[in-house]
Amino acid sequence: MVKLAWRSLFRQRRRTALLIAVVAYATLAILFFWGFVDGFLNSIYQGQGRLVAAPVAIHTEAYQADPDLSHALTELAAAREVAAAHPAVSAVSARLDVPVLLRSPYASRGANLRGVEPSTEPAVSDVPGAVKEGRFLAAQGEVVLGIALARDLDVRLGERLAVDANGLDGPAATGLTVVGFVDSGVEQVDETVVLAHIDDARTLSGVTTATSLAVGVPFGREEAVARALNQDLSAGVAAFGIMDQMGDLAQGLAAERLQMLPLGLLFSLFAAVAVTSSLVVSVMERTREFGVMLALGMSHRRLGLMVTTEAVLGSLLGLGVGLVLGYALLVWLAQVNVLGPAIMAAYGDFLSGLALTNDVRADVRLEYAMYAGFTVVLAAVFAVITPARRVARLVPSEAMRAPD
Amino acid sequence: MRRPKRLTAMVVCLLLAASGTPSLSQDVPADAEAVLDAVVENLRGGGQRATIEMRVEDGEDVETYRLAIISDGTDRALTRVLEPAREAGQAFLVNGNDLFIYAPRLGRTLRLPPSGRSDSFLGSDLSYNDLAGDDVARDFTASIAARDEATITLSLTPNENAATPYGEVRMNVRLPDLAPLRLTYFDQRNQAVKRIELSSFELHDGSGPVPTRFDVVDLRPDGGRTVARWLDAEFGVTPPDRCFTLEALERGCEW
Repeated sequence: MVKLAWRSLFRQRRRTALLIAVVAYATLAILFFWGFVDGFLNSIYQGQGRLVAAPVAIHTEAYQADPDLSHALTELAAAREVAAAHPAVSAVSARLDVPVLLRSPYASRGANLRGVEPSTEPAVSDVPGAVKEGRFLAAQGEVVLGIALARDLDVRLGERLAVDANGLDGPAATGLTVVGFVDSGVEQVDETVVLAHIDDARTLSGVTTATSLAVGVPFGREEAVARALNQDLSAGVAAFGIMDQMGDLAQGLAAERLQMLPLGLLFSLFAAVAVTSSLVVSVMERTREFGVMLALGMSHRRLGLMVTTEAVLGSLLGLGVGLVLGYALLVWLAQVNVLGPAIMAAYGDFLSGLALTNDVRADVRLEYAMYAGFTVVLAAVFAVITPARRVARLVPSEAMRAPD
Repeated sequence: MRRPKRLTAMVVCLLLAASGTPSLSQDVPADAEAVLDAVVENLRGGGQRATIEMRVEDGEDVETYRLAIISDGTDRALTRVLEPAREAGQAFLVNGNDLFIYAPRLGRTLRLPPSGRSDSFLGSDLSYNDLAGDDVARDFTASIAARDEATITLSLTPNENAATPYGEVRMNVRLPDLAPLRLTYFDQRNQAVKRIELSSFELHDGSGPVPTRFDVVDLRPDGGRTVARWLDAEFGVTPPDRCFTLEALERGCEW
């Protein structure tokens, strides 16, 4: 049966080539679609993890529910020890987030000052690397600002900024010298970042430890590492992967991905319809041939099976070609940042609320082959429904008299 | 330990009555820090009860407020808006570093967080943060920039990591009574950004001169101007503690 179907496909090379091209195109489109969507989401998660939050954050469960200074992480050393012991953890850095008022002679802005350990922060965050003017923190008494926030405050490098806070011990204030500007290209970062030495944050807040530990782990392993750390952390302290830290935003993005499933299936549907219509034409053109086969004793059922097999084989060939081309495209798009600049040029303003850099790489996952394989399943189902049923209804004597 | 001396409060106190009756003038110290201490101490004294008219000019827009103020002369002051009618009932309580606002329309009292302190006080050229003032002794080092027979000009430069955004504050002090005449605030690029002028000095019960008018001028482009005048004042009083509670903030304090 398979041999017969192969022969039929080879005998009608032009039609078979068309069929392969249609399925290959649909497969390519499906792979690109999902690789792009997941790569885009990865960029957002990565941006959140490396620019806004942390790949994995350890803080008290109370702080997760209510990020107030009174819920700071008191068992800092123990938590740091647990995190550092995990083999996937590359770095651990303490952070202390304090709501403050920044004052320049010209303007005042409310902000969240993040006290960091200057020596370890670059290992858990991309923000220090995004300091484009001046330098990163080196000592107490210094502050690094997002470039847009600095413009709002009209403050320059080397100038002092007054910082007021409501600490645990009451109001506190200090003056910090601006030593660097962060220009990440991400609006959310450039408008909000205020980094200071963690000891300055401790002075302002009255907290002697930190509000959280930022834990550096390879991208994609955040949730697993967080789960593993939670086995060893003490009661009331927990590790949170990037999805937990993002909260509603992460859930919203996951929901968006689910909503794209029908769109992905639409590609498969179009390809399957194209395969089916090609087969219908093929069946109509080969009516006499089928009449002869029936007259020679082939059953209607086997003839229908042969047509369906032709559909499956043709689709598989197209799928194979599409997978090779599609994965080659995705691998290239994962290596070369083509998508990021294109997306930011087209939708930069629209996406400004997300921590999305202009570096967007396609994702490459084996599951995309499964999504694309759905085209073959649909093509087989449609072949059974239409061309095979048509063949099953053929009367040999009439079919043999059908015009060429 | 030195008591904190608040620079802006020296002037703002005239609005929120964080000062009281100045003492009689004394011999003029030769050292800049001593002059500054004497100026600030002159403005520190007993409590007062006063009504103040505050005129806020912002381009073509002019708004005039009447404020009732009670102060214990240290770091507690209760201010209530009497006029205009739409603002009447609003009240502000300064208690040390804490600042509370009562909004009569909401019927609620709010403790102002740091982020809210940048907001303008009744639309004037003072922010709520100005009301808290700067700690002169901690934040500034004084030197004598100029001196003649009639005045001393003090240059106040921020100490390292001082919680002030200004690069320098210049204070003109009248001799020999050490009455502050003018404060000019410079940014860190040596540009004047704000000026406060004090005038209409009066003597009360043998005290030193008390300024009963001040003009705050925002020197930035399109900056406004705020003028406050004391309409009446009772100095040397001792308000009861109940005048500086949240209950008094909401219901007022009669004594």
